[in-house]
Amino acid sequence: MSAEYLFYWSMAATGLGLVLIGLWGVLTRKHILRIALAFTLADTGVNLILVWSGFLPNRAAPIIDSSVTTVVDPLPQALVLTSIVIGVAVAALFVVVGVLASRKSGSADIRHMKELRW
Amino acid sequence: MIRTIVGLAIVLVLAAILITVVDDYTVPSALSGVGELYTQTGVEDTGSVNLVTAVVVAYRGLDTLGEVVVLFSASTAVVLILTLIPIGANPTPPSSIVAFTAGILPGAIILFGIYIITHGHLSPGGGFPGGAVVASAFLLVMLGSNTIPDKSKFLSSIESLAGLTFGLLGFWGMFTLGQFLNNLVIPAGSPGRIISAGIIPLISLAIGAKVASELSGIFSSYRKAGGEE
Repeated sequence: MSAEYLFYWSMAATGLGLVLIGLWGVLTRKHILRIALAFTLADTGVNLILVWSGFLPNRAAPIIDSSVTTVVDPLPQALVLTSIVIGVAVAALFVVVGVLASRKSGSADIRHMKELRW
Repeated sequence: MIRTIVGLAIVLVLAAILITVVDDYTVPSALSGVGELYTQTGVEDTGSVNLVTAVVVAYRGLDTLGEVVVLFSASTAVVLILTLIPIGANPTPPSSIVAFTAGILPGAIILFGIYIITHGHLSPGGGFPGGAVVASAFLLVMLGSNTIPDKSKFLSSIESLAGLTFGLLGFWGMFTLGQFLNNLVIPAGSPGRIISAGIIPLISLAIGAKVASELSGIFSSYRKAGGEE
């Protein structure tokens, strides 16, 4: 396996790993800010997989030049560019709501937040 | 304990599904569909050598306008929640390292951010990453000072002005060329020059100003709320 393909598959593995770690954290952690952190980890993993889906080994970045003719797919990169910014905004909102909920219940532990029960 | 077991089971099942999917995946050898079209005609259509910027600002400019609206509503919600319910009053004083760094670095960081914003059609970058870089300089200034300046009016007027510019540039294309956000209302020029690619640099500037002011607004309301009671 050449270095390019090693990079290619490790990118996919890192993305999948981040999504799974993030899901694990959201399901099992009890501190609200750690849940927010796990959520952003999963978000990063999804972004990495999206970029990977448009990536082709042995091709250049999509900036056209006289010396560059074969490039990777620009569309997933454009999608992820917007997705990262939205991720930051959602994480900021998540943290604020988490801080508010922990002030209301007196603890950052989600077991003490009665409003979350159903 | 039950939470751990159930969580582990769900994660393992999902991992098994994902590994099966990836195992079936064959590495594509060529671009297909719209991606190939963008790489073949992108520079001709938009005048931007950076195809990612061409897709974000020109081809899918309407989606970017929608995304800016999403960012706006999220930052408004953050500022609203933190203003309605003040949590702390006095900011914690910065350490001497942070205070010293905040006196030196912000100018260089802002310059770098402006470079990223204005060269979005030539090299990796554009309004979103450049705006985030500029906002990080403001964050450093805020962390390094003992007082919290109230610049919310200034920030929101910059934000509104940038959003209005984006919309008006879109309508300019609609009334002259019959297409909302058509970027060739200014001639594309020769690709690769700093003044080229139609209205892409102008929209990048608007997006950069908007992202920078929105993120700075979020940071400053965090800073206001994050002090000791």
